Amino acid sequence: MFAQIIRSRPLWIGLAVAGIAALLPLWLSAYILGILTAAYYFGVFAMAWDLLFGFAGEVNFGPTFLIGLGAYTAAILDNEWGLPIVVCIIAGAIVAVVGGLLLALPALRLRGPYFGLVTLVAVLLLQNAIVIFAGVTGGEIGMTVPDVLSIDATTNYWYALVFLVVCALILFGLSRSAIGLILQASGQDAIEAQALGFNVTKHKLAAFIISALFSGVAGAMLVFYLGTASVDQVIDIGIDVQIIIAAVLGGRRTILGGVLGAIFLIVATEFLRPLGQLNTFVVAAVALAVILFVPDGILGYALRRGERQ
Amino acid sequence: MVALQILIDGFAISSLYALGAVGFTLMFGVSGVLNLAHGGIMVVAAVIGWLAAGDLGLGVYLGTLVGIIAGMLCAYLTYYVVVRPIQRSPAIPHEETEIFVLTGTLLWGIMIQEAIAYLFTDNPVTTRPLISGVTTIAGVRTPHNEILIAVICWVVIGLLWLLVNRTRAGKALLAASMNPRGLTLLGFELSNMYLLVWTIYGVLAGIAGVLLASFLGVSSANAGQLTASAFSIVVLGGLGSVSGSLVAAYLVGYLETITAYLVAPTLRPIPALLLLVLVIYLRPQGLLGRR
Amino acid sequence: MPMSCATPLSTRLMRRLLLAGTAAAALGLVGSAYAAEPIKIGVIGEESSVAGASLTKAAQMAADEINAAGGVNGSKIEIITYDDHSSAADAVRAFQRAVNQDKVKAVVATYISEVALAIEPWSARLHMPLITAGAASTDIPKHVHDDYAHYKYTFQGWLNSAFIAQSICDAEHDMLVGPYHMRSTVVMSEDAAWTKPLDEKFLECLPKAGLKVLDHIRFNPDTTDFTPIYNKIEGEHPDVITTGISHVGVQPTVQWHDQQVPIAMAGQSSQATTSSFWKDTNGAAEGVITATASAPGVAITPKTVPFTEKYTKRFGDTPAYVGYSTYDIIHVLADAIKRAGSTNPDKMVDALEKTDYVGTIGRIKFYGKNEQYTHGLEYGKGLVTGIDIQWQNGKQVAVWPANVAQAKLVFPAFVKLPQQAASK
Repeated sequence: MFAQIIRSRPLWIGLAVAGIAALLPLWLSAYILGILTAAYYFGVFAMAWDLLFGFAGEVNFGPTFLIGLGAYTAAILDNEWGLPIVVCIIAGAIVAVVGGLLLALPALRLRGPYFGLVTLVAVLLLQNAIVIFAGVTGGEIGMTVPDVLSIDATTNYWYALVFLVVCALILFGLSRSAIGLILQASGQDAIEAQALGFNVTKHKLAAFIISALFSGVAGAMLVFYLGTASVDQVIDIGIDVQIIIAAVLGGRRTILGGVLGAIFLIVATEFLRPLGQLNTFVVAAVALAVILFVPDGILGYALRRGERQ
Repeated sequence: MVALQILIDGFAISSLYALGAVGFTLMFGVSGVLNLAHGGIMVVAAVIGWLAAGDLGLGVYLGTLVGIIAGMLCAYLTYYVVVRPIQRSPAIPHEETEIFVLTGTLLWGIMIQEAIAYLFTDNPVTTRPLISGVTTIAGVRTPHNEILIAVICWVVIGLLWLLVNRTRAGKALLAASMNPRGLTLLGFELSNMYLLVWTIYGVLAGIAGVLLASFLGVSSANAGQLTASAFSIVVLGGLGSVSGSLVAAYLVGYLETITAYLVAPTLRPIPALLLLVLVIYLRPQGLLGRR
Repeated sequence: MPMSCATPLSTRLMRRLLLAGTAAAALGLVGSAYAAEPIKIGVIGEESSVAGASLTKAAQMAADEINAAGGVNGSKIEIITYDDHSSAADAVRAFQRAVNQDKVKAVVATYISEVALAIEPWSARLHMPLITAGAASTDIPKHVHDDYAHYKYTFQGWLNSAFIAQSICDAEHDMLVGPYHMRSTVVMSEDAAWTKPLDEKFLECLPKAGLKVLDHIRFNPDTTDFTPIYNKIEGEHPDVITTGISHVGVQPTVQWHDQQVPIAMAGQSSQATTSSFWKDTNGAAEGVITATASAPGVAITPKTVPFTEKYTKRFGDTPAYVGYSTYDIIHVLADAIKRAGSTNPDKMVDALEKTDYVGTIGRIKFYGKNEQYTHGLEYGKGLVTGIDIQWQNGKQVAVWPANVAQAKLVFPAFVKLPQQAASK
């Protein structure tokens, strides 16, 4: 199994790219580093989503439910009790996993569109909870946290890059491992997989928990990077869609494609900033075009071409 | 006194919810599409109606009509630009079509919302009441407009029922929701069915939008909330079940109104959401939905 | 003997050459100074909100004026605008971009308190002078007071909630308690950062002004149906509803009118300060009273009316309250940079603290290190108090204080008054 992973080409290309990325602070301005930092966290969101969708076949329409739980738990703990950042992040991860379990247990019993809908409803519920308890959470517009990972853009960049690489290695490794294959089988034909003796539900639940763990940690780290937690950054249907787009754009079922998609999406949004108000419109339009015309995504398309050769 | 107030206000808001939810669930039931641009279409109808009534000087009634037509056109656009291309795309595997439609309509909804905010700002627009003035029902002062809105909602729902149960086209729609292939065997063109359902949907959403603008006011920022609300009610009532949506709409409407009056306005959405959570855990197909 | 005749030709020539040379050198210096780096000021507003959009417009207008008059210390002012989409996180990103990428020397931002509070720590971390244009939370100056060394870069460019509330209490006392014999009120405000200190002050100063507070209602900022709230208030029979609303405005006002709630509305309603409010509410705004910075035709200072007219002519709409304050803030910044002779942040802060500038909103001074609201806008007669306006027949009419009042109060027919004012 290890041998197979080490032999995988995307992995080596990925590591090479990561190496180059680590050197970028030598050339790029602080602001651009900031954009890439945000993109890297987004990449983790997308990879976590792809594990669930690409491999377990479950469409999570509300990844920000898990991300938001991690983010706001960490933010509230820091704001109210001033706990150290690491503690807050771990707490965020735990809450996200618990939330994921609470969501997955009933949801995995459902078929068809119901699972997706339930995940969407979860996001709405969390949003409303945040708004209602605005005293603690800052409501719609958000809250500030007193601590940040670092003020220095380069340091923040490296934190994010290392985090991304570690997550990518783990998630990619999982996807190519025995567990990953079982997940893929469960996703594509659950009945067959069960017939072969695999406990599909248990494996899907595991995928959900892993997805929740990574989403929660990434959400918490994002908060300590920005210094704020707000609903429209971490618990928003728009963000959910962007995560799905990033994963689809990069290539479903490739894990690493999610990183490509995230970087592309965030850089594109930034590029369109001079449009002011309209940049969200344009990004949504472009994303729609991607869905309509290139649903396989960048990496998906490239891999397919590679296979044919 | 408060009880009567709650009864009347709850009825009005529930009727409005019902109108929005019925269109949404009909769309799913007949064509399997969960249109997450629903709120956006309602806002388009509301804003165009307001524009026509005020700036274009057409007055309230004509303006409202223009708004409804705008809603219908927006629904068509949604079908032809987003939904149909995805459904027919050869590059998307069949089992993933639903997800792509959901994502696509979500994106389309965002586009609509941003376009309206850009053109009109996110300030709420309100159309003048269709009938102004107030009346007193057993000591409770109620605007005429509120009563009219409830009446219109029920007239529309009644017409819909007649359409589905008494006309040939309507019965074909019902059949399409149960067995699309069977219907084609009988010689019906499915594409005509889809066109019909999108037309009906567009008109329903359009009416809901302009009435909302007249009753409470609407802004581009509401688009997401309106979709979420319709969608929660539909899940509660059971996807695809029109009667389920009606029941759920009144349940949610009254729960919200009672909470706002008797508990606190800030806690208004909570009981309905808790009910939703309960139903998802205990009966995920909804109150009246089929598995 | 006259000196000139005795001065040798060479000396006169030398003197003339010296004079000419100095003049040339001076011109050269000045000329090169005009070609100098522009002073960039970042302005973060909310383009899709009517109030937030007037922020950036007013800033641009002020910069154009300053540049037409020669700039600051020879440099032009360049305004770089950002849209934060009413989101704290977007505002933080915009702030970081302004500082790190666009290299601004100061930032003017927002009318939303939650957004201002999100960027205040970044102003401290990045040592960037920040002046908020309209955010009213008292936490903004409190942070400066509690940790001056870190937070000294932030200033508050409009009155904070405690003073807004005091101003409204004074206004309601003068306008409603006296002439109309009003005795009771219900406070109705949105649940947001700026209304917490507002309501606290209301509950304290309204009774002192002569109005008993019967109830205190806070609602979700994204409430769309105000019927239950109005019904509850009506059941308590107050003489006036004292509002604290900013995120909402059109909907509660329209519903107040459509339902014919028989109680007058006064207080702070930020959306009602914009000129499009009449149209947005289809005239339901008739009779609504709100505190604001100024209104068309009201001359708080000699600069107010010219600004209002120029803004209206250029942009087609009258400025929202935050337009007045932003316009003044840009001038205040320019004035501070001029006095400091530099754009070094610490020197700018020192110069800003010494501000004594007559703008459109009044005489602008900031509280000092040892006062409760450090770097907050000073409130008081002769400084800045704001005014109250009432919508009458499609126009904003100043009704308080007495020295700027343009007309008497007029209420819609459905409002029941405890006693009609004695006609004068």
